[in-house]
Amino acid sequence: MESTGYAGNILEIDLSTNSQHVTKLSPQFCHDYLGGIGFNARMVYDGVSTGTDPLSKENILVFSAGTMVGSTFPTASRTEVSAKSPMTGLFGTSNSGMFFATQLKNAGFDSLVFKGKAERPVYLHLEDGKAEIKDAAGIWGKDSWETIDIMKKQYPGCEVASIGPAGENLVRFACIENSYFDAWARTGLGAVMGSKNLKAIVVRGTLGIKPYNPGKFIELSWKARKLIESSPFFVPFRSYGSMNAAIPYGNFKALNAHNFSQGCLPDWKENFARSKVDQHTHGHIACQSCIIACAHWVEIKEGKYKGLHMKDMEVTPITAFGSGCGMSLEASVKACEMSQRYGFDMVSASGAVAMAIEIYDRGIIGKDDVGYELAFGDDEAILRLMDDIAHRRGVGEILAEGVLRAARNYEGAESSAMHVKGLEIPMIDPRGRTSTWSFGILTNVRGGDHLRCRNPVENLRYNENKHRFGKERFGFDPKMYDALDMPESLKTRAIDLENDTTDIAVMSYWAENLINLFNSLGVCIRPPVEHRIGPTILAEAYTAFTGLEMDADELMRGAERSWNLMKLFNLREGEKPEDSKFPRRFYEEEVGGRKLDEAQLREVLRRYYQTRGWDADTGVPTADKLVELGLNPV
Amino acid sequence: MNKRLQVEIDKCTGCGLCQLACAVKKSQQFDPSLARIKIYRSEAQGFNVPLICQQCANPPCVTVCLMNVADKDPNTGITVRESNHCIGCRACQVACPFEACTYDHINDVVVNCDLCGGHPACVEICPTGALQYCDISTTLAGARDAAAAKRSMIPDRERSRHG
Repeated sequence: MESTGYAGNILEIDLSTNSQHVTKLSPQFCHDYLGGIGFNARMVYDGVSTGTDPLSKENILVFSAGTMVGSTFPTASRTEVSAKSPMTGLFGTSNSGMFFATQLKNAGFDSLVFKGKAERPVYLHLEDGKAEIKDAAGIWGKDSWETIDIMKKQYPGCEVASIGPAGENLVRFACIENSYFDAWARTGLGAVMGSKNLKAIVVRGTLGIKPYNPGKFIELSWKARKLIESSPFFVPFRSYGSMNAAIPYGNFKALNAHNFSQGCLPDWKENFARSKVDQHTHGHIACQSCIIACAHWVEIKEGKYKGLHMKDMEVTPITAFGSGCGMSLEASVKACEMSQRYGFDMVSASGAVAMAIEIYDRGIIGKDDVGYELAFGDDEAILRLMDDIAHRRGVGEILAEGVLRAARNYEGAESSAMHVKGLEIPMIDPRGRTSTWSFGILTNVRGGDHLRCRNPVENLRYNENKHRFGKERFGFDPKMYDALDMPESLKTRAIDLENDTTDIAVMSYWAENLINLFNSLGVCIRPPVEHRIGPTILAEAYTAFTGLEMDADELMRGAERSWNLMKLFNLREGEKPEDSKFPRRFYEEEVGGRKLDEAQLREVLRRYYQTRGWDADTGVPTADKLVELGLNPV
Repeated sequence: MNKRLQVEIDKCTGCGLCQLACAVKKSQQFDPSLARIKIYRSEAQGFNVPLICQQCANPPCVTVCLMNVADKDPNTGITVRESNHCIGCRACQVACPFEACTYDHINDVVVNCDLCGGHPACVEICPTGALQYCDISTTLAGARDAAAAKRSMIPDRERSRHG
């Protein structure tokens, strides 16, 4: 039978033996794991045995296209990449958009699995069902942009995933660059790719993706588009993208300012306002099939960093470098360019830099260790340090291991390492903002990260802490509540309209599953989408696209299944209940007059575990839950 | 019918929805390479350019066609093709300065935009209004010049996406 919706194939490549194997997708596998992160969860769980060194040839690296990618379904563009993480030793995974997955599916594959290690540097060339491993001597050592330039010249119309010097040098938080300006950044997947001597993946395809029921599918794409456009988050996101969050989080004193020591920098509002976006940007950039186009073309026209021209001005690079390290806006664009060319995760890199500056301030390291002076806001020193990290020079050799491992080298430095489970925490400080979003950093299967749990009706107009860490203010018209596609029984538990509150524990359960569903189907998690798109329309669209019967409940169960499987992977690797905690600083030092209450937070965590059907004390999925999901107990 | 496709270049985000809508309408599958519209993205200079059939007054594709497959429709003035007789030699593709001749690899013929009989799918789906379908007499002032100027700014064709 000809495959519809899905490309229908998984390509497995053993780099040690230069051999290939193609597996056909089975309808049962598709039903159970949906695609994208779901496929990855199953394949990494089955393919990586316990205790494997993430940078050894025994680790596997999996790329899976979201199932609806390559179609007109709005924002369907995303690819999930997974492996055992060299940062956390747990499930490593990262999601990115642009056009890679469109080409991958058109080349005939939903997933690429890399095993083993090539003897010398290689790249994969994949075109219309044919895969070839080629010598990468000509591109090894080049930065990501140079690599893409060369590959695009050689293979017109291709999409390129590549690593830069950071990945080659096994910087633990190296990313895989997705074309020029995007990346599978978190959890160190670029180091895994580098450890396999795999420099790049070059993909182009013209095989076509056939919808099962084109008429119905296009009708549903339109319906989804109207829903997204009707969200009150649509216009702000279309105008300023994620930069909308920069100023509110500063006002909340909930930013990572100077390594999570201050909540917000004094001139934050003036230096990083939306008017700055207007000043430095021209035009918008979309990923495949996106009706929002949240990204901007940025051009720095004057000053020291004049001439930079790229995609930037999003909240993550701005907060990572501007707030975390105290850089100027213009220098943060340079730092962003450097991260892309060298190929490392901006959040972890800035976390490592911020820690270095803090321990320099504290006198734990000095000029003799670094070779030059370090200070928050010293743009040139910070860029120099990033260069040292990418090339593992001097103190960069130590910082390239990430804050958890780097801190072990210096007595007293551990209290300056801002991470959860070995992964550096991005922009949000939960002391300033008690919300579903900040709570999700604790429960994220990939460690200290904020992108797998976000309240679909988060309200940035309010930041009341009277509820402390149990509740956040709902604060919208009840129409927002009605518009949420969520089972009524859960919705009434998650949102209490009478008291105008959202329950963080319950909403986190829903939000994680919903985002996991988006990451399975390749849909973007931007707020207007997360607000209006839910399992009902996704199930209809899935069925019209693939021809496989699916209802909303079953679809959510699929997303919940793979989330549980990733948790099981982590438990198998030795994750302990006590690992799910913030750095000590958050409980002991006040920011904006607030610190976290450990007992209270543990209580929210217990309620979250219970909502998940996990043991309330240990966070281990119960046998009943696993049976319900059709998974085998550990 | 005196309407034509127009591009308002600065509004294009490069999302590629137009390509997918075109491909699925004409070929029943989502394959950007089958679309009769192309998008160049210049990562180096920061812009997107949709390339469309200009429905030229004296089309090079008609001039070079060995089989006299392509011709101007005397009533509508648009470039039409008798694809039954196309041998897929792709000479028209080489001749077209706008890269608006698309090789249909399923049927081994070359095709170009036929404006979907007056209801262009690309215009309908364009989320920003970058693609418009408007009367020749009310052609957006300077739109064609602006598009041509951007097109000429792509120094290195390979450093961009096209399908």
